Amino acid sequence: MDIFDGLMLGLSTATAFSNFVYCFLGVLLGTAVGVLPGLGPVATISMLLPFTFGLPVDTALIMLAGIFYGTQYGGSTTAILMNLPGEASSVVTTLDGHEMAKQGKAGRALAAAAIGSFFAGTVGTLFIAIAAPLLAGLALTFGPAEYFSLIVLGLVTSMVLTSGSLLTAFGMALLGVLLGMVGTDINSGAARYTFGTPNLLDGLNFVVVATGVFGLGDVLVNLENERSRMASIAPVSSLFPTREDWRRMVGPILRGTGIGVVLGVLPGAGVLLASFSAYAMEKKVSRHPEEFGKGAIEGVAAPESANNAAAQTCFIPMLTLGLPGTATMALMIGALVVQGVQPGPEILSQQPSLFWGLVVSMWIGNVMLLFLNLPLVGMWAKLISVPYHFLFPMICVFMAIGVYSINNSVFDVELMVLFGLLGYFFRKVGAEPAPLILALILGPMAEEYLRRTLLLSHGDATVFFTSPVSLGTLIVAALLLLSIVSPAFRRVREEGLQEAE
Amino acid sequence: MKISQDAALGSFFVAVGAVGLLVARDYPFGTANRMGPGYFPLIISSLLVLTGVAILMRARFGSAEAIAGIRWKPLAIVSCAVFLFGALVEKLGLPLAVLLLVVGAATASVKFRLDWKATAGAAAFSVVCAVAFVDLLGVPMPLAGSWLHAVGF
Repeated sequence: MDIFDGLMLGLSTATAFSNFVYCFLGVLLGTAVGVLPGLGPVATISMLLPFTFGLPVDTALIMLAGIFYGTQYGGSTTAILMNLPGEASSVVTTLDGHEMAKQGKAGRALAAAAIGSFFAGTVGTLFIAIAAPLLAGLALTFGPAEYFSLIVLGLVTSMVLTSGSLLTAFGMALLGVLLGMVGTDINSGAARYTFGTPNLLDGLNFVVVATGVFGLGDVLVNLENERSRMASIAPVSSLFPTREDWRRMVGPILRGTGIGVVLGVLPGAGVLLASFSAYAMEKKVSRHPEEFGKGAIEGVAAPESANNAAAQTCFIPMLTLGLPGTATMALMIGALVVQGVQPGPEILSQQPSLFWGLVVSMWIGNVMLLFLNLPLVGMWAKLISVPYHFLFPMICVFMAIGVYSINNSVFDVELMVLFGLLGYFFRKVGAEPAPLILALILGPMAEEYLRRTLLLSHGDATVFFTSPVSLGTLIVAALLLLSIVSPAFRRVREEGLQEAE
Repeated sequence: MKISQDAALGSFFVAVGAVGLLVARDYPFGTANRMGPGYFPLIISSLLVLTGVAILMRARFGSAEAIAGIRWKPLAIVSCAVFLFGALVEKLGLPLAVLLLVVGAATASVKFRLDWKATAGAAAFSVVCAVAFVDLLGVPMPLAGSWLHAVGF
């Protein structure tokens, strides 16, 4: 099937009434979540995931995807108006965005963010349509050795790119792999780490862990800092960028989109890195680097374009290889698997309407978001002012009901409380939970592929180095690890990730 | 005495890794070309213990940040509220359990005050939840739980 036929099929899927409605619901919810500080996409998607089990698989995926890229739009609103990142990926947007708001240019900053995001979303979607079939074709030739190496790369990237020390991140990834082994071993049927309870025979449910660590954990952390949460919202003036703004925006949007598209595909990198890199790059190429941090529109347009481009293209490894690059994508895989769809290179040929429907719906969703965010920004500004002490009890309710309804199990709710406390502990000791969550999904896959590889090669581990794809992937992973030792990169990483705190 | 972040995390990794090792001793190890169910767990647990030890060393010899003050009250209240929700949802039914969770969790906030407006809001929210989740989305949770049936509802 060529791209044109694919897009036509996608158009008919995405414009089916129920898909259209759920796409809208998804981006609406996504914007709301993005706007509200203290509620992230991972927590929201894991909370809502159980309620999508009753929907057809394409509708469910379209809605969940909408929530995810919707948060990228919403996050910038809070960043600009309140100087608080609604989402981690809009941290850099606060630097110049809020500065512009203080100078009475909030509307123009919002417009720059939305227009940049929209352009980047469009390019990102097109990129998926072109690149995903190619990569899927290539992936069909991959054996277990290649998959194992790709998983290693994903884990290494996620470790290198989290704030805090590499050693801590390594420990978190190992812990994730260990937790992933709880349950029945698929090869031997042995029950591992179940401590005699039948509740653990199916393993730790990924949604339960993610909801606990990210959802409940965030609530517990936020309650601790409750007093320091302040709310002063900058007023929004004219939403129309001036001719001068347009002139200064074009370059950053183009470069930001480029960076975002590329970094989104890299497993483990995700949207956060994209927005930081785009900001750093603009500062470098600008003829007025001194204006950055004092309200330069470039500093809003570039990172916002980059994070939205990456939010689209990070679907590529998930859809074509079945490997999640980020925690959000791991949740999407969870959603698909529950519905009986195994993401991987076959998805394009076996579920063409799912793939193309998603791609087209992403573009439609981006159009909706442009309208939701620009003319209706006043409504979102009101939402920011909902105080947290009304919000968090409701978040608790949604989490508890959501987790319960996965298996109608009280045990899961109690497990979530345990992981919520763990999530709180991790934040208190400065350990980022992202590698753990990713490893929880990737760990069992890694074990399975390693087993298969060594079974095929009769225990000979050199196959990882004789296959060119596998060797190349491992070299990239090794370079990433080495780069962290290099002082120059180390400084960039520390600077970039510190701002994310 | 202040415990540093690294000391806490390192001990945690060592403890979890050690439990992992102890439990995995009973699983058949297998060989590299036919791995048993114990192969991966043993390797990963050992690595986790080693990483934990390395982090402990860093805590001992490097500059380690202390854990910032913990406010136990909200931590305990919110976890207990969610835990109780799990324990009681099948006994009391969804609306009552939601009401308990909302009000219970809300007391954790420094801004919590008992006033009739907020209480009415919480009650309305429980009813909305019951209608939305049980009636519309079909989540199999009882509207009136087993305890209520027992007393004649």
